[in-house]
Amino acid sequence: MDDLKRPTLDSDFTCDMAFNKITKWAQKNSLWLLAYGTGCGAIELSPTMTSRYDWSRLGIRGSATPRQADLLLITGYLSTKTLKRVIRSYEQMQDPKYVIGFGSCTINGGMYYDSYNTIKQLDLYIPVDVYINGCMPRPEAVLSGLAYLKDKIGDKKADGWIKYKQNFEWYRENQKKILKSFNGDNMPDKYNW
Amino acid sequence: MGFSKLTETKVLLKQYFKDIISIEEGGEQRLIIDLQSKDITSMINHLKDFMDFKHLSMISCVDWPEENKFEIVYILTSYSKNIVLMLKTKIDRKNPKLQSIMSLWPQAVTYEIELNEMFGVFFEGNDRMGEEFILEDWDDIPPMRRDFDSLEYANKNFKFRDERKDKKIIREFISEHYDEWRKK
Ligand code: SF4
Repeated sequence: MDDLKRPTLDSDFTCDMAFNKITKWAQKNSLWLLAYGTGCGAIELSPTMTSRYDWSRLGIRGSATPRQADLLLITGYLSTKTLKRVIRSYEQMQDPKYVIGFGSCTINGGMYYDSYNTIKQLDLYIPVDVYINGCMPRPEAVLSGLAYLKDKIGDKKADGWIKYKQNFEWYRENQKKILKSFNGDNMPDKYNW
Repeated sequence: MGFSKLTETKVLLKQYFKDIISIEEGGEQRLIIDLQSKDITSMINHLKDFMDFKHLSMISCVDWPEENKFEIVYILTSYSKNIVLMLKTKIDRKNPKLQSIMSLWPQAVTYEIELNEMFGVFFEGNDRMGEEFILEDWDDIPPMRRDFDSLEYANKNFKFRDERKDKKIIREFISEHYDEWRKK
């Protein structure tokens, strides 16, 4: 009976990797989205979440506070005043966290290119994992963006939150360029949880 | 058989306020009244207390850099007379000051703060002047003035994305292929 071949594991398949695989699977299939809409794009979210397009098929649900959320959707133009709130919400979210930039306005200012009050490139201020373009993107585009994000999480390429921590100084510098009163009482300079 | 309410209001106002610059009908049930800035508070007071114009619809401002003036516009409504009044007055652009009407309508405070922020008009008697309302950390001239160049400000303060590396014009690319994709 010595030549009976026992089934062997892949040589580099360790317990750690199995655990990793399971967490990735869980993370990508239960995305909780922070119910926070800026700009006009949030109006496309209601058809996307209700029965016609139904994003709960992809395992996505809304959550009320940043502490419980994994996914932040910046749905359109972002005024400098809102940017402050977005940065705080983003930093309060638990790791791992993902950001989707939604609409032309987040990519290059869109039709608000000459506005004195909206930012032009979102990825200078917070790390963006997926951009969905269109003004505004249809629910199909939103769903495809979300599906793409899920693939990216599965491949471990959605690592914006790691980049944010590694290049924290750079992001803060960019943020400070437009938010002049950064060291106020309600806007601490450090990474604030 | 009497006058219509509109004509009546017009005649009464002309009687009370001799200094009115002009008063004319601006459509159905609408009056447009041009005033000197010193009369505006007494006029509004009178309209609210004695002529039943109880509703302040809005306060707004128009910039006239050519004449070096700001034009402040008050819109009042009377429900019993069913008339909408537009009161206009021009003030100096260099030193724009006007009496606040917050004692008559508390909600006027919000309009006045906004005008203060967006045009730099100062309302005397409003204790919330200079408060940040919509803009935070603003350090330029008030942005709704017509001599404020929005695009120049955006170019100075924000960075635009560089153009595509392959120089493709994406709109043309889509319109060329649109029919082909639709057939699929
Ligand atoms: S991309 Fe278009 S739809 Fe979206 S926020 Fe900007 S202007 Fe509105």
